[in-house]
Amino acid sequence: MDISTRLAPGLCLKNPVLSASGTFAYGEEFSRMFDLSLLGGVVTKGLSLLPSEGNPTPRVCETPCGMLNAIGLENIGIDAFIEEKLPFLGTFDTEVIVNFFGTAEDEYAQMAQRLDIEGVSAIEMNVSCPNIKKGGIEFGKDPQILNRLVAKVRKSTTKPLVVKLSPMVTHIGEMALAAQEGGADALTCSNTFPAMAIDENTLRPMLGNVTGGLSGPAIKPIALRIVWEVSRQVSIPVIASGGITSWKDAVHFLLAGASAVEIGSASLRDPLCFGAIIEGLIRYMQDKGLESISDIIGRLQTA
Amino acid sequence: MKECSALVKDNRRVGQDTYLMTLECEFSPFTPGQFLMLRLTGTCEPFLRRPLAILSYRERAIELLYKVRGGGTSLLAGTKKGEALSVLGPLGKGFSDPKPEEEAVYVAGGTGLPPILALAEKTRRGRLIIGARTRDDIPLWNRMQNIAGVEPTATTEDGSLGIRGVATQALGDLLETIQSPCVIYACGPTGMLKQAARLAQGSGARCEVSIEEHMACGFGVCSACVVRTTTGNQKVCTQGPVFDASCIEWGI
Repeated sequence: MDISTRLAPGLCLKNPVLSASGTFAYGEEFSRMFDLSLLGGVVTKGLSLLPSEGNPTPRVCETPCGMLNAIGLENIGIDAFIEEKLPFLGTFDTEVIVNFFGTAEDEYAQMAQRLDIEGVSAIEMNVSCPNIKKGGIEFGKDPQILNRLVAKVRKSTTKPLVVKLSPMVTHIGEMALAAQEGGADALTCSNTFPAMAIDENTLRPMLGNVTGGLSGPAIKPIALRIVWEVSRQVSIPVIASGGITSWKDAVHFLLAGASAVEIGSASLRDPLCFGAIIEGLIRYMQDKGLESISDIIGRLQTA
Repeated sequence: MKECSALVKDNRRVGQDTYLMTLECEFSPFTPGQFLMLRLTGTCEPFLRRPLAILSYRERAIELLYKVRGGGTSLLAGTKKGEALSVLGPLGKGFSDPKPEEEAVYVAGGTGLPPILALAEKTRRGRLIIGARTRDDIPLWNRMQNIAGVEPTATTEDGSLGIRGVATQALGDLLETIQSPCVIYACGPTGMLKQAARLAQGSGARCEVSIEEHMACGFGVCSACVVRTTTGNQKVCTQGPVFDASCIEWGI
C-alpha cells in the first residue's frame, strides 16, 4: 500500500498527515510525546523577520466544538529559528515546512530567501492570519495583490512554495487561481475564521484582542466546502486545514480533493491524534481495498 | 509528561461548588505546583482539556480539588465512579523546596488552595494561610489542621471562619513576627499574588507564585498562556505556573 502523497516537484510526503502552523510550535514539545518521524511533515509556527511578542491575554477561549485564538503570531523570529530550532527538526525523518509572514512584500521575499537553505523542505506563506494588524490577511484579500506577492516570493526561493489562503473572501477560487498563476506549488485551505465571544457578566470580550480566529470541529464543514471548491479550480495540490480531528475527517478532505491534511486544534486536546489518524487512514484503505492515497484524492462522487 | 487513561474512584462535594476527585491511574511523581490537563470526553464538547493543579499522587491515586466555574467543570462535577478520563501530565514547573534555614509561609486564596496544600503536605513544616470570602469557600479545613509541622490560619472576609479579613493582611502580620530568612509560596487571585510579592519584597523574603492564565494545550505549543516577566513573555504552562515573584511584571 502506498500512502505517500506528492505536493510539489521535490516534495513528496511519506503520508498525508501534517501538523498545522501555530499549534505545533517548533516540534520540541511534541517530540517528547511521539517520534516526529511518524508525520508526513511538520509545519512550524509562523515566523516573522524579527521576534514578535503577540497579543495581550486572554489569547484563547473555548467555544462550542472549537476554540478562538488571538495569539498574534508570537514567535522567536527567523534567525533564532534557523539557528536554534531547524537543526533539531532535521534529526527526524519528516519534511519540514516553514510557515512565515511579512508586513510588506519585500519582507516576504527577504524571508523566503533566508529560508532557501538546507533542512527546509518547503515554505508556507501565511497571507491569512486574522489576528495581526499588519501583514497576513491584507495580502490575502485581493487577487491582484496576492498574485504579485506570490510571484515575488516565487522568484526569491528555489523551495516548493505553499500559499495558505484566507477563507474570508467572496470567491476563494479566484484567490487560489491568483496564487497558482503567481507560481505557488500548493495551497493550504484554509485558516481560522474571524470570530468573537463575550462574557455577559464582565461585559467584556473573552479575548484580549477582542476578536480571534475560530478553529476546531465547528469549522470543518465550511473548510470541507472550501477545499472542494478550490481543488476543482486549480491544478496544483491542495492541503486541507480546518477542524480535522479523526481519520474520517481526513478521508473526507482527501475525497473533496485535498492531497494532504494539517492537524491543528485537535492536537492541542489530543497530542497523540496524529498516529491515530494515520492508522485509521491505513485501515480505511485496507477495508476498501485501495492501493494508493491517489485512489481517494478527489474521488468524491457528485453525479 | 505522558497521557494516560484514569478511572474516577471518587468525586465528592467538599464545599461551595467545590469537589474533591480521586482518579486511579499509573501516573508519575510530581512536584507540588505542577498540574495536569484533564480531557472529559471523547467527543468535541467540551473541546479543550481542563488544567487542574495536582493535590496529591500516591499509590496510583491522583487527588484533584476543583471549583465549578463553567460548562467544563460542571461536567466534571457530574462524573461518576468508574468513568474514564484522559490525563496528560504532570505538566509545568512546580515550587522549589524551602531551604533548610528558611521559614516557609504558604498563602492560598480561594481556588488557589490545591498546589499550596500539596506543598505543605510535602514539606510538613511552616505556616499556612488560607483566605476566602466565607467559611463555605474553604474546603478541606480539617485536613489543613492535621498536617504535622504546619500551622494553619484561615481568614474570611465575613469572619465566618478564623480571622476576619484577607489572606495578605494575615501574611503581613505574620511576616512582622518572623526574624529568620523566609520563603513565601502563594497561589490565588492576581491581586493577592501581587500583594504577596510586594510584602515579600518589603521584608526581604523569597517569594514564589503560581500564576493562572487561560490555556489551550498545557504543554507549551500554542503560546496562549503567557505572562509578562522581566525577561519578556514566558509560558505559564511550561516555564511556570510557578515563577519567582520578583520576575513577574505585575502592571499597575
